[in-house]
Amino acid sequence: MNSTVICIVCPVSCPCEVEWTKEGGVTKVENNQCKLAFEYVEGELFDPRRMLTTSVPVDGGNWPLVSVKSHVPIPKDQMLNAMKAIGDLRAKAPIKVGDVIMPDFIGSGADLVATRNVAVA
Amino acid sequence: MSSHEQADVAVIGGGPAGLAAAAEAKAAGASRVLLLERDDRVGGILNQQVHDGFGTKVFNEALTGPEYAAIYEDRVNEREVETWLKTHVINVTKDRLITVHSDKGLRTIEAGSVVLSMGCRERTRGAIGTAGTRPAGVFTAGAVQNYMNVRNLAVGRKVVILGSGDIGLIMARRLKLEGAEVVCVAEILPQPSGIGANLVRCLEDFDIPLYLSTTVVEIHGKSRVTGVTLAEVGPKMGEKKGTRRFIECDTLLLSVGLIPENELTNKIGIITNPVTTGAVVDDSFRTSVPGIFSCGNVLQVHDVVDYATMESEKAGTAAAIWATTGKLPDADIKVSAGAGLRYVLPATISGTDAVDFTMRSWREEHDQSVIFKSGGEEVRRLRMPHMEPAGMIRVRVGKGRFRRIVNNELTVEVGA
Ligand SMILES: Cc1cc2nc3c(=O)[nH]c(=O)nc-3n(C[C@H](O)[C@H](O)[C@H](O)COP(=O)(O)OP(=O)(O)OC[C@H]3O[C@@H](n4cnc5c(N)ncnc54)[C@H](O)[C@@H]3O)c2cc1C
Ligand code: SF4
Repeated sequence: MNSTVICIVCPVSCPCEVEWTKEGGVTKVENNQCKLAFEYVEGELFDPRRMLTTSVPVDGGNWPLVSVKSHVPIPKDQMLNAMKAIGDLRAKAPIKVGDVIMPDFIGSGADLVATRNVAVA
Repeated sequence: MSSHEQADVAVIGGGPAGLAAAAEAKAAGASRVLLLERDDRVGGILNQQVHDGFGTKVFNEALTGPEYAAIYEDRVNEREVETWLKTHVINVTKDRLITVHSDKGLRTIEAGSVVLSMGCRERTRGAIGTAGTRPAGVFTAGAVQNYMNVRNLAVGRKVVILGSGDIGLIMARRLKLEGAEVVCVAEILPQPSGIGANLVRCLEDFDIPLYLSTTVVEIHGKSRVTGVTLAEVGPKMGEKKGTRRFIECDTLLLSVGLIPENELTNKIGIITNPVTTGAVVDDSFRTSVPGIFSCGNVLQVHDVVDYATMESEKAGTAAAIWATTGKLPDADIKVSAGAGLRYVLPATISGTDAVDFTMRSWREEHDQSVIFKSGGEEVRRLRMPHMEPAGMIRVRVGKGRFRRIVNNELTVEVGA
C-alpha cells in the first residue's frame, strides 16, 4: 500500500511517501530529510506512539516546575491516562537533566525523566 | 551607581541564538565575550517550549527545548563567556557603546563587535483589534505557556484559540492534556499558519477542530470571558453575512504570530528588510552598521532552532574576527528574491565561501525547485518535494558555483 505520513519528529514536518504491506512492514520511505523518519513512519502505521512532555511541581527548587518527558514514546491512546497517572506526582530539588522522576510510569516501559536542571532554592 | 566596561564581543539576548554566537565568538579568539540577558536565566523561548523536536539537524535526535538550551548553556560556561543575567540592554550606538540596566544600576559597555540576538515577542490583541468588552480570560498563547510550563499557574477550563500559530497549537494539546476542554482553533487565513507536525500531534490526535477562514468578531463577558462570536471571512477578509455563531468559553488564547524585537536595531539606524522586519545582512551576518551583527529570530523567524544555532555560530565567529582583526571579506554580490519567494537571506554575499541561503515561499508548492540564477543562467537548482510558507527553506550553495556569477547579481526563485 501507499500512504503519505507527515513526520512529526521535528518542525520540518516532511510529507513522507511510504510503501508498506501488512506482513512485510515498511518497504520504502521517500521525501524525508533525515533518517529519524523511518522509525516514526513504521510506528505510525503499526503502533502509533507519542512523546509525552509535561511538567511536574518541584519542592524546594529554584523553579516551581521541572519539565519532563517519557524517555521513549508511549502508545498514543495512553496520553490522557498517562497524565492521570502522574497527576499527584511531585519532585524534589536538586534535579539534573535525565534524572528519572517516575520509573515505568504507565507500565509501557517508559520512564518519566527530567528535561531541565533544578537547583535547590 | 554606574560603571564602564570593555569587551571584544557583546551579545545581546541569551536565547539559543545568543548562546551559540557567544560560544563561537570565544572559540574564534575573542578574549572577553559578554552575554547580556534581561531574564533571570538564559535559554530564551526554549525555557517554555517543553515539547520535543529540537536538535534533529545538529544532534540527529529530537530533544526538548530545555534540554537543547542546557547543552549550549554548558558550552558557554565551559568557554568562559561572561553571562550577565537580569541585564536589560536599553541602548546601543553606531559606535557600539551599549547601555544596560540591571540591579547594579546603569552601566555602559564599549564593544569591539555587537551581536543582536533579541529573538521575537508575540503579537498581542492590540495588534489584531477584536471588538467587544475587555474581560479577564484573554491571553496570548505564549503568556499561558509561560504560566503553565514555567510558573505553575493554571488558566481556564473551556478554551477557544484564535490563530493557528505554533504556540497556539502546542497550547491546545497542553491544555487538553491538563484536562481543559479546547473547543476549537479559529484561523482567519484559508490555510493554517502552524507547521504540519503540530497540526497532527496537537489537533488531529485530540480531535480538536480547526476552522479556517474564520475569526473572532466579538468577545463576551463583563468581568470574565463567557464566550466569543465567530464568523467566517471572505477572500478579502470581510465578514460573511449570516455566519455568526456564539461559542461558550471562559478563556480566549491569541496565537497570532511572532514579531522580531527590532527596537534596538531600528534605534541604531540599521537598514532593515520590510518583509522580515529584521536587519539586512551579508553572509557574515554583518548589518549595514560596521561591527554590528544580527542572527536568530530577531533576524528572521526560525521554525527550526538548529538553523538559528548554525546561523548564530557563523555570526559569532564573524563578530570575533571583526573585533580582533577589523577584516571580513567584502560582500559585493547582490542577492534578490524572485518569483515565488517572499524573501531570501543574506542580501549580499562575498562568494569566497559556501553560503546557506534561507528563504520562505509565498504559497504551498509541490515538486518545484529552488533555482539560483545569474545573468539569466542557472547557477544551482534544488528540487523541493514540498514547500509551504510555514516552513523556512535552507539551501547550501558551494563556493565553486559562485564562479558562474556575472555582474555581481544572483536571483533566487521557485520554478518547475
Ligand atoms: C511555539 C514555538 C515552538 C517551537 N518549536 C520548535 C521545535 O519543536 N523545534 C525547533 O527546532 N524549533 C522550534 N521553535 C523555534 C525556536 O524556538 C527558535 O528558533 C529559537 O528560540 C530562536 O532563538 P533566539 O535566541 O533567536 O530567540 P529567543 O529564544 O526568543 O531568545 C531571545 C532572548 O533575548 C532576550 N532579550 C531580548 N531583548 C533583550 C534586551 N533588550 N536586553 C537583554 N536581553 C534581551 C530575551 O529575554 C530572550 O532570552 C519553536 C518556536 C516557537 C515559538
Ligand atoms: S524526517 Fe527528519 S527533518 Fe523531516 S520531519 Fe522527520 S525528523 Fe524532521
